[in-house]
Amino acid sequence: MFGKKWGIKWRQSVVLGTLAAGMVLAGCNGEEETSSKSSAGTSSSGSDEAATITFWDENAGPQRTPIWEELIKRFEEENPKIDVEYVGLPKDSAKSKLDAAIAADDMPDVGSVQTSWLPEFSIREALLPLDDYYENSELNGLINQGALDFNKEIVQGNALYGIPYTQNLDVLWVRPDWFEEAGVKIPETWDEFFTAVEKMTDKANNRYGYTIRGGAGGSFQLQRLMFAYNGFEEYVTEDGKSTLNDPKNVEFVEKYLSLYETYTPKSDITNGYKEMIAGFDTGVVAMVQHNIGSYGEHKKALEENQFQAIPLPKTEDGKYVAEGGNTIGLSIFKSTENPDAAWKFVEFINSAESQSYWNEQVGQIPTNADVIKEDWIQNSPHIQTAFAVYDDPNTILYKPPFYLPDYRSILDNLVDSGTQAVMSGESTAQEFLDEWAKAIEDSQKQYSEHFGK
Amino acid sequence: MFSKNKKVDRLLTFYLPLTMMLSFTIFPVYWTLNTAFKPEGDIVQRPLQYLPINPTVENFAMAWNNVGFAVFMKNSLIVGISTVVVVLICSTLSGYALARFEFKGKRAFLLMLLCTQFIPRSMMIIPLFVIFKNLGLISNPLALIITYTAIEIPFTTILMSGFIKNVPKELEEAALIDGCTKLQSLRFVVFPLLLPGIVATAVFTFIYTWNEFLIALMLTNQQSKFTLPVGLSTMMGEFNVNYGALAAGSIIALVPAVILFAYAQKHLVNGMGGAVKG
Amino acid sequence: MSYSQEVNEPALKINKAVQKKRFTKKKLIPYLFILPSFLFIMGFLFYPIAMVFYYSVQHYDISAPYYNRFAGLENFVQIFTQDKLFFPSLLNSLKWVVSEVGLQLVFGMILALLLNQTFKFRGMIRAVAFVPWAISGVLASVMWSLMFNEHMGVLNDLLMKIGLINEPMAFLANTSTAFGAVVIAELWRGIPFFAITLLAGLQSIPNELYEAARVDGANRWKTFIYVTLPQLKNTIILTTLLRVVWEFNNVDLLFNLTGGGPAHSTTTLTMYIAELAVHGSNFGYGSALTVISFGILLVFAILYLRLSRYEKE
Repeated sequence: MFGKKWGIKWRQSVVLGTLAAGMVLAGCNGEEETSSKSSAGTSSSGSDEAATITFWDENAGPQRTPIWEELIKRFEEENPKIDVEYVGLPKDSAKSKLDAAIAADDMPDVGSVQTSWLPEFSIREALLPLDDYYENSELNGLINQGALDFNKEIVQGNALYGIPYTQNLDVLWVRPDWFEEAGVKIPETWDEFFTAVEKMTDKANNRYGYTIRGGAGGSFQLQRLMFAYNGFEEYVTEDGKSTLNDPKNVEFVEKYLSLYETYTPKSDITNGYKEMIAGFDTGVVAMVQHNIGSYGEHKKALEENQFQAIPLPKTEDGKYVAEGGNTIGLSIFKSTENPDAAWKFVEFINSAESQSYWNEQVGQIPTNADVIKEDWIQNSPHIQTAFAVYDDPNTILYKPPFYLPDYRSILDNLVDSGTQAVMSGESTAQEFLDEWAKAIEDSQKQYSEHFGK
Repeated sequence: MFSKNKKVDRLLTFYLPLTMMLSFTIFPVYWTLNTAFKPEGDIVQRPLQYLPINPTVENFAMAWNNVGFAVFMKNSLIVGISTVVVVLICSTLSGYALARFEFKGKRAFLLMLLCTQFIPRSMMIIPLFVIFKNLGLISNPLALIITYTAIEIPFTTILMSGFIKNVPKELEEAALIDGCTKLQSLRFVVFPLLLPGIVATAVFTFIYTWNEFLIALMLTNQQSKFTLPVGLSTMMGEFNVNYGALAAGSIIALVPAVILFAYAQKHLVNGMGGAVKG
Repeated sequence: MSYSQEVNEPALKINKAVQKKRFTKKKLIPYLFILPSFLFIMGFLFYPIAMVFYYSVQHYDISAPYYNRFAGLENFVQIFTQDKLFFPSLLNSLKWVVSEVGLQLVFGMILALLLNQTFKFRGMIRAVAFVPWAISGVLASVMWSLMFNEHMGVLNDLLMKIGLINEPMAFLANTSTAFGAVVIAELWRGIPFFAITLLAGLQSIPNELYEAARVDGANRWKTFIYVTLPQLKNTIILTTLLRVVWEFNNVDLLFNLTGGGPAHSTTTLTMYIAELAVHGSNFGYGSALTVISFGILLVFAILYLRLSRYEKE
């Protein structure tokens, strides 16, 4: 009865609807085209050197983003033909974003890359070797050789894939004022550490001696403590065995995690970074393990005499231990069309001036030898603490197996939850460490079979 | 006596439960506001301050300036509004087909719509990235608009088909007999009745795009094209514990959605019913 | 009589032909209508979904491409025989979905019934009551983690003031409270969804039905059971189905509040998948898990619609 009208009119409206949709789409598309044209226009209006490079920051935030923006501004003033486009990635998602970018072959030109990612990225052939660039650069000889060597050692083919611009170290942040008040010695050895945790706990006043990071990221911190305790240099031995479930580690983990609830807050078991640091900065705990990078946080929340960085306790035979590769560097991605411009940027960031600016703002250790002598370094006690550890010839640097593709996911998925299971009494330290060791050994075996190493 | 009983009854069966439900709803919002207006040191101060003793707007200024909210908000608006327009067109059409026609493959189409909802978004990231890279649309708002549209269509189609079913078929026919053209009958008879449904669908879609994080992060490689949730997430990284600014940022991100909500709630309530009644 | 019949016969034939033509045209219309939606879904979701099925029979890890190879059913065999997390996380998913959808439905219904009455400032109060729906998972977790905090959380402060507890609780840290704490936070965000849809449904129930019930002397409870509920049946069926699927896949609050802990006590299947895929980059195994959860949801949806006799009286 109304079939005809129906059909025609409705087809019209379908056409209209599609047109409207098309217009919306086209509108955005048009805008996009013009904007990309204009940006291309500005950058190509020069000689052949003109280039736009993208830079991905792996830990963007209110603290670091402005530092990068300032440095990029300075760089662009010096190199007016090079445009640097900053992309700040949230720390928790940066690695997966890079993973996807590499998988889809759509990488940035330059990236801030954690040293532990280098082996994986190099096997995936995502990075450009920088050996030649570095050799011919004015930076040659200035960047911490140990860190550079480390970067080469951990990758297949021993090429240089990242120039470290900052170095970090795990330390204990303590409340010197409380220690003094209680007449307790600030710990240097593990025995002193466990005693201090006990003595500084005063639950009646809602004070705890220590706080454990039981939630996300806790595994990495636990690992550093374990090695600081046992003094091992090897993570995986020649014959493919892991040292993780060595009796010494079992002893330590048992002792350490039994601090939970007795001398630490109950919420520790799911503590992430935020909760852990908040516990220290709000005056609930006397000691916390983190790295020197949280200096800025403490400075904001506490008075000058209320916080201090001390090295992780020494091993039984009096040695400091630090995890190798605790650096972040700049890498150039293979797909770049402007490797020279990209290198210029890498070089600029690693210059004494830029490194000094970046590290002073963040509160970490520069790798450029020229910066080390500067006043602000001499006047930063927490950086001096870090130097005391790194410069000590007896310090043991152990190497985690960054080259294992599932190294990180083992720590994230298996170790974080395993720690929680021990803390909540659901499994024993031995069971937990056996499981961890087995996962690493399995992964190592698969890796050795594939790469014949 | 009777009226007193009635009052007690009203108190027990209405005012009391309503107050309880509302407190539960409002309390987290109030606490976030309260936190946002405190200077950093006061947030963790004991005893807790139930109203800020030294109120400040510093946190808002910091969140707004540092994070570059203005740009992110603009991007979110572009993506949100465009997605709403496209979703409305598509889902009205397909909703109409589902509501008014019997056709072969109708059940298969419905099943297809449902099936798209069974896959966690995190599993789709890489293939989506590959699609839009091949189309040259990475960092282009179009990539987000298209993806969000495709993801929202199944749900909104089901919603719209419900709304359309609720508009009596006889009304459309009557309008035709009265000498309206088909388009006129749509414009003047069907559309006003459908308006609540359209508003509901629009709000639903907009809120989804406004809050979506993972896809927006993955398909955008340019800082200047980030949407609000992506921009906001960089406030929560390691080395930054600023509860006040975080709370302020949350409130700022919330404002447009709440305004929209307050404006649309009347239509929303009238509209949504039809839809799900079926 | 017979004359007119004879005359009409050819006319009838013509009419049939016209009808047939119209009929085919009309047959095409619904397909044209669903075409844009169909194209969007096929164009942009088909490939990602198909890839999930494809990867489920592959060893596919984007961070270790050198291990990638065809896996056959190995992933599935591993899930069912070796994976210690699969069944516990599936159980958590079940707990999560049942408690969330159940509680949201009950409280959403109560809120809808309350908001359906006449009272002052009704529009404003309705708007306020719906606000949590507009808040993203990430923001909601910021709000709730502030309140749940052991040291500076307001919940502890309030509970201690009332005298319910003597010392602060670590809500998110205890295996026995963590799950409940996240359920409450998600409940807060989910109630409005049901409240809105049910409220709308309530408004279209004819008043005569209530009057009839009153004449029969039915009390409030009976009226609710025999009048309100049956009228809301289709609304409830559809919203719960959509909500079950949605909550099954929703990990925002779990991820941000507990990270699946302590000791995996709040790890649901979808959360496990997200961890494997997004953080572990093991897409092959994650895909196999996704295929299993796809199957579960599909069977559930079909059974649910059948058993609930949706759109049937």
